[in-house]
Amino acid sequence: MTSFGVDAQCSISVIGLGNVFLGDDGFGPLVIETFRCSYAFSESVEVIDLGTPGLDLAPYLYGKELVVIVDAVHSAMAPGTISFFREEDFVSSRAKLRITGHDPWLWESLAHLRLAGHAPGALIVLGVTPESCTFSEGISERIVEIASEASESIAQLLRDRGIACCKRTEAATPNLWWFPLTEPPSITAV
Amino acid sequence: MARITIDPVTRIEGHLRIDVEVNGGVVNKAWASCTMWRGLEAILRGRDAREGWVFAQRFCGVCTTVHAIASVRAVEDALALDIPPNAQYIRNLILICHALHDHIVHFYHLSALDWVDIMSIPKADAAKAASIAEGSSSWAGNSRKELEAVQNKVKGLVASGQLGIFSHGYWGHPAMRLSPELNLIMFSHYLQALEFQRKSCQVVAILGGKTPHIQNLAVGGVMNAINLNSLATLNVDRLGTLQAILEDLIPFVQQVFLVDNCLLAASYPEWFKYGRGVANYLAVPDLPLDAKATKFDLPGGVIMNGDLSSARPIKDWKDDAFRKAVTEDSTHAWYQGGGPLQPYKGETIPDYTDFKEDAKYTWVKAPRYDGSPMQVGPLANILVGYAQGHPLTRKWTDSAFTQIASVHGLKVTPNDMQSTMGRYLARSIRSSMLADLALEHLNLLKTNILNGDDTTYNVPTFPKGEVMGMGMHEAPRGALSHWVVIENGAFTNCQAVVPTTWNASPRDDKGVPGPYETSLIGNPVVDAEKPLEVLRTVHSFDPCMACSCHTLDASGEEIAQVKVQ
Repeated sequence: MTSFGVDAQCSISVIGLGNVFLGDDGFGPLVIETFRCSYAFSESVEVIDLGTPGLDLAPYLYGKELVVIVDAVHSAMAPGTISFFREEDFVSSRAKLRITGHDPWLWESLAHLRLAGHAPGALIVLGVTPESCTFSEGISERIVEIASEASESIAQLLRDRGIACCKRTEAATPNLWWFPLTEPPSITAV
Repeated sequence: MARITIDPVTRIEGHLRIDVEVNGGVVNKAWASCTMWRGLEAILRGRDAREGWVFAQRFCGVCTTVHAIASVRAVEDALALDIPPNAQYIRNLILICHALHDHIVHFYHLSALDWVDIMSIPKADAAKAASIAEGSSSWAGNSRKELEAVQNKVKGLVASGQLGIFSHGYWGHPAMRLSPELNLIMFSHYLQALEFQRKSCQVVAILGGKTPHIQNLAVGGVMNAINLNSLATLNVDRLGTLQAILEDLIPFVQQVFLVDNCLLAASYPEWFKYGRGVANYLAVPDLPLDAKATKFDLPGGVIMNGDLSSARPIKDWKDDAFRKAVTEDSTHAWYQGGGPLQPYKGETIPDYTDFKEDAKYTWVKAPRYDGSPMQVGPLANILVGYAQGHPLTRKWTDSAFTQIASVHGLKVTPNDMQSTMGRYLARSIRSSMLADLALEHLNLLKTNILNGDDTTYNVPTFPKGEVMGMGMHEAPRGALSHWVVIENGAFTNCQAVVPTTWNASPRDDKGVPGPYETSLIGNPVVDAEKPLEVLRTVHSFDPCMACSCHTLDASGEEIAQVKVQ
């Protein structure tokens, strides 16, 4: 089952976070769509673009064995750099470090679930340093180019844990509906 | 006199800044400022009108479904397109469960900690707490064992000294007055609520194909294939799953959420006296029952000056008075232009000036109804229904009043509801109504399918030239309307007049403030450094400014800043 959301059958969630209208902040959704179209993966994996869910993130982390979050991470590193963070990384250096722009709610959602006894077994953040998160200007080319590398990183991460994930010989066409229009829409008005 | 700036207000969706002037422990002036720009209307221009809803549901990360539905309804209105009854019921079920989810999160996770002092929980007598909880509700999750387990978790948290997300609460504030036992009961439900938040999402996911950002909508209906015997479609099994989830979810709403709000109301009766604010109320009809949307399960209407006997119904979405009455003014908002414009002619051209309280100070425009500010949300929803004698509204409002009176001896009237506490109580009353309606609409859907109707979609046809349409939805935070202008099938203008715009409205061209601003006048503030009471009134509206996300530096801390001058 893919892209269903809050699927109780899936023990692993690969989640994209980000606002598709804020330039490189749309990295998460872009990678999710790229990964979904380029890889075949185990039924236990749910691959889902959650946008900017705020506190509504909690249901998607609830009781999972493994959660992989893909998001833009602001840092001093060069734009386009991919980094990995574990939950411990930002728990321990909490006062100094926020992992992603959406972190305020990620942190709260995790804390709620931990108290209630439904926190995910493991959480990994795959982040990319954005170039520009400007409203309505579209995602930078450099970040678009990094999407396949990030997808392969997700695949590797799953395979390392014994979860089936293979690259498709022929990728399906990703539905990047939020990208700027290249030609006017074709509508038949009568 | 002290000037307090809270920026950002925490535990809301998005960014909001509140400024108040306090004199003698009471607020006498207030300003609400939304610090994020929402320019999404501009993105829709030139797009295919059939796809507008896909974009609209990214207006906000939290209120996704509500913008999707208002967008398709606006286009359908422009085309005068009927919607098959199955599609109405499926949409209604999605809207109901989205709203239940939203209301549960608001009460427990976004606002309960304004009233509930976690630090007093270790002192609670769990046996006594269980007897209070079991005495006021038939809910099965209130046992002594359950409450002791929660108490132990809190004891562990407090003993560790690592309060994490709870480290910035106003613990021990003199305005926190619940007994340790009530704090324990409420916090236990705070944790249990996570499971029910998830269950309501599951209903939306089953019908919408995905949450958030449902996939099943279409201008003209929904794309759910119905075949009772097919595995791939909405079939007998899926309908059964929906029924089972709702049967789990409904008791939490009616026996926990509502009961907790009655307990809260009885414990803080003075909050029925604060926060009245703008006493003009607007609610729009929703949960249509037929293809042409002539009958609704939630009534709409307008109440002026807090006078329930003056209620005027909004019978359906074609209501001409509504279409003529709504304007938006940018005199005090960071947009070019000023004077009120009808939404079809609305403009969204930014003109940022920094916070200037006598000039422009917010990204929110000032919507007006026949020139007046209006309060929207569950309270408007309940008052409009109550005033018109709507049976379901009366049933649950009277049930709440009876619970408060019989268990706690406090008499509450519909007039008392026009207050900070009234807005909390109204949200739980509305949720109890929606819980009944969820089952009703599932039954309507089943019956219609069993009668042999499997239609879910009517094909839209776009005329040459320009058409205009308006789509309404009574969203969790109140009346939402999308106004679209379409030319040859593509958008030439889109304006969303959203609930938080009505409530967080700045002053208008005549200097008249909006509901948040007015509601804070007379609000007590015992300690200017810890303005908990201001948060109570602001949170009572369930602010959602998250119409676009904000980004932070990896090193940037975002703790609420309270500045007192």
